[in-house]
Parts: sequence; C-alpha cells; structure tokens
Amino acid sequence: MGFQTEWHAVASWTWDAQDETCGICRMAFDGCCPDCKLPGDDCPLMWGACNHAFHLHCILKWVNSQTSQAHCPMCRREWQFKE
Amino acid sequence: MGESTSPFCNLGILDTLTGDSIQEIIESYSNFCANTESLLNGDFSVDSEFACNVHGLCKYGLNSLVRDQFLGSLEETFERNCVSKFWQYFDAYSNVAILNTNEPPVYEDCLQQVLCKALEEISLEKQYQEKCLLVLVHALSDEEHHSNAEKAYLFSKYQLMVSSVLMARLPRHFPEILHWYFKGRLEELSTNVDGEFNYENESQDKDDMDIDERSKVPCRTGKMDIDECGLGKFSENNALVKNIGKVVLNLRSLGFTSMADDAYASAIFLLLKAKVHDLAGDDFRNSVLQSIKDWIEVVPLQFLHALLAYIGESVSYDSPSSVPKSPLASVAPSFYPGSNAPSEGLVRWRLRLEYFAYETLQDLRIGKLFEIIVDYPESSPAIEDLKQCLEYTGQHSKLVESFISALKYRLLTAGASTNDILHQYVSTIKALRTIDPAGVFLEAVGEPIRDYLKGRKDTIKCIVTMLTDGTGGNPNASGNSGDSLLEELNRDEENLENTGTDDDFNIDDKQAWINAMRWEPDPVEADPLKGSRNRRKVDILGMIVGIIGSKDQLVNEYRVMLAEKLLNKSDYDIDSEIRTLELLKIHFGESSMQRCEIMLNDLIDSKRANTNIKMNRSQTPHTGSEAGDTAVSLDNLDATIISSNFWPPIQDESLNVPQPVDKLLSDYAQRFHEIKTPRKLIWKKNLGTVKLELQFEDRAMQFTVAPIHAAIIMKFQDQPSWTSKDLAAATGVPVDILNRRTNFWISKGILLESPGQDLNDHVFTLLEIVDSDESIGNGRNEELLVGDEEGERSVDSVEDQIRKEMTVYEKFIMGMLTNFGSMALDRIHNTLKMFCVADPPYDKSLQQLQSFLSGLVSEEKLELRDGIYRNKYPCWVTSSKLKHLCVFRTVHVLELPLPSNLTHDQLADVLLPVGSTSCLSLIPSSTEAATAPSPLFGEFAEPGITHSPQDILASSSQFHAPMDN
Ligand SMILES: [Zn+2]
Ligand SMILES: [Zn+2]
Ligand SMILES: [Zn+2]
Repeated sequence: MGFQTEWHAVASWTWDAQDETCGICRMAFDGCCPDCKLPGDDCPLMWGACNHAFHLHCILKWVNSQTSQAHCPMCRREWQFKE
Repeated sequence: MGESTSPFCNLGILDTLTGDSIQEIIESYSNFCANTESLLNGDFSVDSEFACNVHGLCKYGLNSLVRDQFLGSLEETFERNCVSKFWQYFDAYSNVAILNTNEPPVYEDCLQQVLCKALEEISLEKQYQEKCLLVLVHALSDEEHHSNAEKAYLFSKYQLMVSSVLMARLPRHFPEILHWYFKGRLEELSTNVDGEFNYENESQDKDDMDIDERSKVPCRTGKMDIDECGLGKFSENNALVKNIGKVVLNLRSLGFTSMADDAYASAIFLLLKAKVHDLAGDDFRNSVLQSIKDWIEVVPLQFLHALLAYIGESVSYDSPSSVPKSPLASVAPSFYPGSNAPSEGLVRWRLRLEYFAYETLQDLRIGKLFEIIVDYPESSPAIEDLKQCLEYTGQHSKLVESFISALKYRLLTAGASTNDILHQYVSTIKALRTIDPAGVFLEAVGEPIRDYLKGRKDTIKCIVTMLTDGTGGNPNASGNSGDSLLEELNRDEENLENTGTDDDFNIDDKQAWINAMRWEPDPVEADPLKGSRNRRKVDILGMIVGIIGSKDQLVNEYRVMLAEKLLNKSDYDIDSEIRTLELLKIHFGESSMQRCEIMLNDLIDSKRANTNIKMNRSQTPHTGSEAGDTAVSLDNLDATIISSNFWPPIQDESLNVPQPVDKLLSDYAQRFHEIKTPRKLIWKKNLGTVKLELQFEDRAMQFTVAPIHAAIIMKFQDQPSWTSKDLAAATGVPVDILNRRTNFWISKGILLESPGQDLNDHVFTLLEIVDSDESIGNGRNEELLVGDEEGERSVDSVEDQIRKEMTVYEKFIMGMLTNFGSMALDRIHNTLKMFCVADPPYDKSLQQLQSFLSGLVSEEKLELRDGIYRNKYPCWVTSSKLKHLCVFRTVHVLELPLPSNLTHDQLADVLLPVGSTSCLSLIPSSTEAATAPSPLFGEFAEPGITHSPQDILASSSQFHAPMDN
C-alpha cells in the first residue's frame, strides 16, 4: 500500500517569553497590548538587556514617560534594549 | 250569543226601551246574524240588507255587539275553514324536518310547492274575509263618520285574531320548513347568479380591469333596478325573487313576520358562510376577500334589494294598507324614485353581511393559521386577507388564543426538531408582522415558543446556524435558500431604507393595535441591535436573540462554531465567513466580534506565512540536501496558525503522527521561527485535515480525514496487521478512541476487524485486495471517495455530542425496562422527562431518543418488536444498574428479575446499594421462570408482597450458606 497525503495542520504561535503576561499592562504576551487590536506581528514583544520582555508598545510608552534614564519596570535595572 | 255578551250594555238605556224597540232589536240581530253567515259563505247579495240590520242595531247603541259578533263569526269561520287545513299541509314533513336538520328534506321541490299552495290558499281565504270586513266597515261608517278609525281598529283586531289562531296551532317544525324553503330558493338563485358572475369575471379577469370591476359592482347594486339589470339577465331570477317575495308577504300577512325574516336571514347567512368556505378553502396563495365582497353585492344584496322592494320594506305590516297590493305594482322601484341611494335597510344588511363574511373568513384563517405560516411567504395573500378581517372585527385576541394553542399542540412537542421550531418561529414573526406591525401581540404568541426553546439544549447552536449558515438551514424556511437569515434580514433592511419611511402609517397601525388589544405597550427599550429609525418595529433579530437571553451568548456560540469551521478547512478560503462577520458586526457591534475578527485574521496571516515559508525553502535549498523526499513533501504541508488566546479552548489530544510527517512539521516550525523570530509554533497534531490517497495493487482511493485517521491507516505501511492495543500505543491514542476511529476504515472496507486473543483486544488487518466485483467498481475508475466529513472529525460533531449525552440515560433506560418489562418509545420518553429532572436533566427530543434506542438495538442491548422496546437478554441485574433504578425516587417498589443461581455475595452486591426504605419483590428472570425457580423466589416472589433488602439478604445467607462452603 502506498500513500499520498496533503496535510493541513494546525498550530498556535507563541512569543516564547518566560512569563505569561506583560509586566506593564498585565495582558498576555500572546495577546496584545491595550492599544492594539491584532496580536502577533502588529504588537510584538521587546526584550531588555536584563532579559525581561514587554509589549513593544508598552515599554516604549514607559521609556518615553520617564524624565531621566528609564529603568526596567520589573528589575529596576537601567533599561537597555536587547541587542 | 245574546245581548248579555255586549260589554257596553248599559242599564239606563234598558229603561228607555219599549216593547217595540226590543222586538226591533231582536229582529235586527237575528237578521244580522243570518246575513253575516251568508256573507261569510260567499253570498254578497245580502249586502244592503246587512247594512240595514247593522244600522238597526247601531241605532240602539249596539255597535260593539255588531263588531264583536262579526269578528267572532270571522274567527269561527277562519278556524273552521282554514287553520287545520293549512297546518295539515305540513304534517308530512314533521319527521323529515326534525330528524334531518342539516340535510334538506328529500322532497324539497314538493315542499316548495306545498308551502306556496298552502299560503296561497289561506291568503285567498283571508283576503275574502277582509273583503267581508270591509263590508262591515262600510255599513258602520254610513252611520258615523269615523270610517278610517273604525277600519283601522277592525282590521288590527282581525289581524291579531288571525295570527293568534294560527299561532295557537303552530307545529314545531314549521320554522325549519321555512328555513329549508328559503335555503333552497336562495341556492337556486345563487347558482343562477354565480353563472353570470363567473362569466363576467372571466370576461374581464385581466388585472388591469380590476379597478373597473370594483367600481362597477357597487354601482350596479346601487341602482339595483331590476328592470335596468337587463331583460334577459335577471328576468329568470326576477320570477324567483317574486316567488320568494310572495311567500314572505303571505307569511307576514298571516302574522309570521319575524319568523319569515329570521328564516330568510338565516338562509342568507348560511349561504354566505358556505360561499366563504367555498371560495377560501385551503388555498392560501390567493386573496379571496374581494371575491367574497363582490359576491355579497351580486347575490345576497341583489336578492335582498329585490325582495325588500317587492314586499315594501318600510311599511308597517300590521296596518291594513300593507295587505295585498298588486304584485306587479310593488315590483316597480317606487320606493326610491329617482334616487340611486340604497335604502337604509339595505345598507344595514350590507354591513351585517360584510361583518359576517369578515368574521367567517377570519375564523377560517385563524383555524388554519399554523398551516398558513408554514406556507409563508407563499401564503401572504391569506395573511393580507386576515389582516383586513381583523381590522374590521377587532377580534385579535381570538387569533392569539387560537394560535398559541395550535403552537402548543402542533409545534412545541418533543417530536419537533429545534430547527423546525425556530424556522416556524421566524416564519411566524415574518407573517404576523404584516398583521401586527407594532409587534404587540407577536410578543404574546412568541412567548410560549421562546419559553419552550429555552428548555432545549441545542437552541443556541441552531439559532446561530440559522443566522449565519445559508447552506445548512431548513430548506422550506424561506424563498431564498442558500441565504443565511442574517443575509436576508440585512437585505430586508436595505430595501426598507430604499423605500423610504412610512412612519405615519406605522404609528397609526400601532395605535390601532394598541386600541384593539387594549394592552399596554411594552416600555420602549433602547434597542441595542438596531439604529431605531422606527420607534417600534418588529425586530426579527431582536426576537431571536431574546430566546437566548443575551447577545454575548450568541456571539460566543458563533465563535465556537466559527473555530470549528476554520479548523476543519483544508484551504484558506474564508470569503463567506468574512461576509458573515461583517453582518454580525453591523448587528452586534464591532467590539463584540473582535475575537472572531482575530480568528479570521489568523487565517489570512496563516496563508501569507504559509507562502513565505515555502518560498524561504526554495531560496535556501540547503535544507533539501538533508533528505530529498522531505523537501519535496513540504509542498504537501499547509498550516493554519492560530492566536490561541483569542480562540475558544482547543481540544488538545495526544497523537503520534507518522514519522515523515512529524519531520515535516518540525521543519515547518523551524522555518516559521526563522521568519518570525522570536515567535515559535506549537503544533496541535490532532487537529486539521488530511487529504489522503491510498494506493493499492488494484485501486486508488481518496479520502479527506482527520489526522488521527491518517495516522492509523499509515501505520499499516509498516505492518499489515495490528492489535488494537499495539496500534493505540503506536499512535499515542487511548484504546477506546482508537477503536472508534478505526471503525471509519472498517466501514470503508479497508481494514478488517477480527477478535484477538484477549476479549478487549481486536486485530485489524489491511485488506490489500478487495473482492473482485468491488475492485472493478472502485479500482478502475479511481473513484473519488471523500470521507464522510460530518461523521468523523477530530472535533466532536453535534451528533457525537448528543450520543455522548444520551449515554448517561442508557442505564436509566435499561433499568426502566428491567422494572417495567417492556415500554413504547413515548412512554420511555415521558418517564425520562418525569424522573430525570436534575443532573443532567433529560432534554432530548423524541427523535433523538429514538435514534439512540435504535443504536442500543443494533448493539443488541435492546429488542424492538411492534414498537415496544424490551431488554434483549434476561436481565442480570448489576449493582450499578440497581443504583440507577433507585434514582427513580418515586419508585419504591422494585421488581427485580433475577437468575436463580445467584450467590449470596452477588445478591448482596445487588441489594446493598438499594436504600433500606425500598421494598423489593424478587421475580425470576424470564428464562428462569420456565424452568424450576430457585427456592429463593418461592419465599420472596409472592406477587404483591414486598420485603426490605435486609430481610432478603438475611434469608439468603441462610439459604446460601451450605452451598457457598
Ligand atoms: Zn503590555
Ligand atoms: Zn500593541
Ligand atoms: Zn528587567
């Protein structure tokens, strides 16, 4: 017996972050930030040098709101975007 | 009869009388009596002598004696010569008329003749007597000059006498005879006129002639001039009407005025009713109201006009002037000289007849409203008629009551599917909003349907399907099949926008309704579903959502169904889903549909990613070097990549897909990761669809199946035969699921199941070559067999779910049949309904139960004979079964059919779970009954005597003790 198959599979995607939710907006990483409607490419994650991840939109807002040098909201270390 | 009879005998006068005058009075009186006799017997030659004698008596003030004596003679003669003779004519009909109130007497023609003849005869006699009475009037009035008053007095006295003498001997069946007479005549007339009526309609039945037709009919009846109606046309009917008129006149002159009027009125109404039934019938697709109204003008009103004209309707009948005129003279329409205005009587008649017709048609349509709505929208002419009738009669509450009871009887039953109920509900709304644009009583009619549907489990699912799915719906639901209800509603709305607003009309209608029903309108809520252009308009969607309770529930259900649909797609074609989502957004708001939108967006993104991943491969051919066939095979893999946070919970079941496929999946995931870093893929290996072509030595077969089916069958590449346990291990699936899924391949004739060494372990073998005759059919043509997608899915179908849900009741049902022996379907259904009220409540339809039971029959658990279910095998009552029996809380007395070779421990197993309050009576199982029953039963199986479980056990331990040891 021989086979020929056309397989239509189903998968879910994940950002594969350590945490489930964004420490700033408390929304799921695999969801999206409060300002966005569509998850995934439209609302990406951003990692800091400290390895903490946030929604890009959330951390940008955070960084921009700080008058001086911004710190990571989780570990208080100086915020640096991960290379 | 002497002087003493005179009431006016006055003693003063007596004193003045001389002997001569007494002599004169006596002479005059006896002559007067003799003359009266002669007159009444037809001898008018005594005329002048009679007058002399009257004068002679009156001279002495004996006027009243003269009157009384004369009237007395008239009465005596009338009674003697006429009355019995008259009534004797009808003796022959007494039985027929009484026995057969619905069927006309057999000799109807004969009856007609007899009636005419009898009336003619008695009227002639009466006329003659009236002539005699006139002679008296003349004789009296020569003396004094009150001729008119005298005449009126005498004639009214006479009339009264005639009626009372006749009435005193009226046979009971006479009104019925009159009824049959008029009915017969009117039917004849109607048949004649109908011929002309139809001929006329046919000659101008084109639509554009309608207006002419309508304006013409009242005009014709307005004139209603028999002569003008044409010599030929009505002359025949003319004679008929005259004939009837004569009968009416004669009856009236005999004092039967109201009896005659009642008789022809009831005949007219009867005829009208028959006509309405005849015209309307069960044809709902044509409007009949206008034809009925036309017919009223042409037949009964024509008749009434002629009749009233003939008998002179406005005249007081008891006055002497009404008594016979020349029939010819009264036929001339002298009552309305120069005017076309119908008489007041005729106007009243028209109102009565129309009201009656409206009411009759209304009752007829209300009685058939259920069928009419089933037939909607084809039946909209009938609805339109009904609307007009109700506007006229105002009997809307009749409709509400009758329709609700029809719904309860016909629709809201266990046998009706939820889909049918829903479609009838929607049709009801659509049909009745014509009659009730404000939806005031739709509320009342809809309530029982809504309440009923709320009790059904599949209601939400059916509603969502109906709203969003154009293909799966009920075929007889609406004209445009293939359109979802949402699509249809949307189109209606657009049409409404385009036709502009008729707000005034709506408000008027609403007011009329509120007045008619005298109901308080519901508080006008701000309808969340629609821009409220009209203050209150029947809102189909709102009424449907009202069944569910909230739109959130509906949206949620839709999301689940959408997920199911999308996950089972083998392509990325979502055009119709996008369209549906747009419609849902219009009605339920964008934010409610956000998650669904993300789901659809996932499909769009997946398609793009899928293309990118494959392009990526061709640009970087280095991966192809790893394994040539894998690279080729990547063409055969597509993926739907979901944002699982926004999807309903996905069933994640374990499955080991075939190794090459697994390799493909990880390659695919790797490429996704490369493109979308740092995002990763997590495969849901049990989900998706596989298009599979199986190539055998002699044939090739194609299927579209779930991954699990593919995984199972592909295992047979490695080895041609598997035990179910091994196969389950290899595919990573629990054995029971594996067995169920393998059934698919067995049913397709690809695998063969045979018993293995272990009872629970089957052996599946691949059938490489099928029987020769089948192979010709399948192999050569390379038939495309699409696997039945409905039945076998990685996600449970609705049928699967119901079967699963029903399994809970299997134990109840088996227990019930154990207890009661045998039961019919509806009894099982009702018992389940009665007892399974909680956890989980029994909410299945009769059909669902039936299909479940037929499953049990095919599994040989039950037996079905002559519509009665019973246990297939004598029941071996297990403790678990008994436990379920005890759930029937009201059943305290249990009869347990038991095999006699029960050990004490087995019996304890059975009896201990039974509550100590239960009473038991043991009976031998049916096979045991034939052979020698166990002594156990002798003690405990006496009919009607019950024992507690503890008693039985105690006794059994004694009984079993020696045997067990
Ligand atoms: Zn965030
Ligand atoms: Zn965002
Ligand atoms: Zn940090």
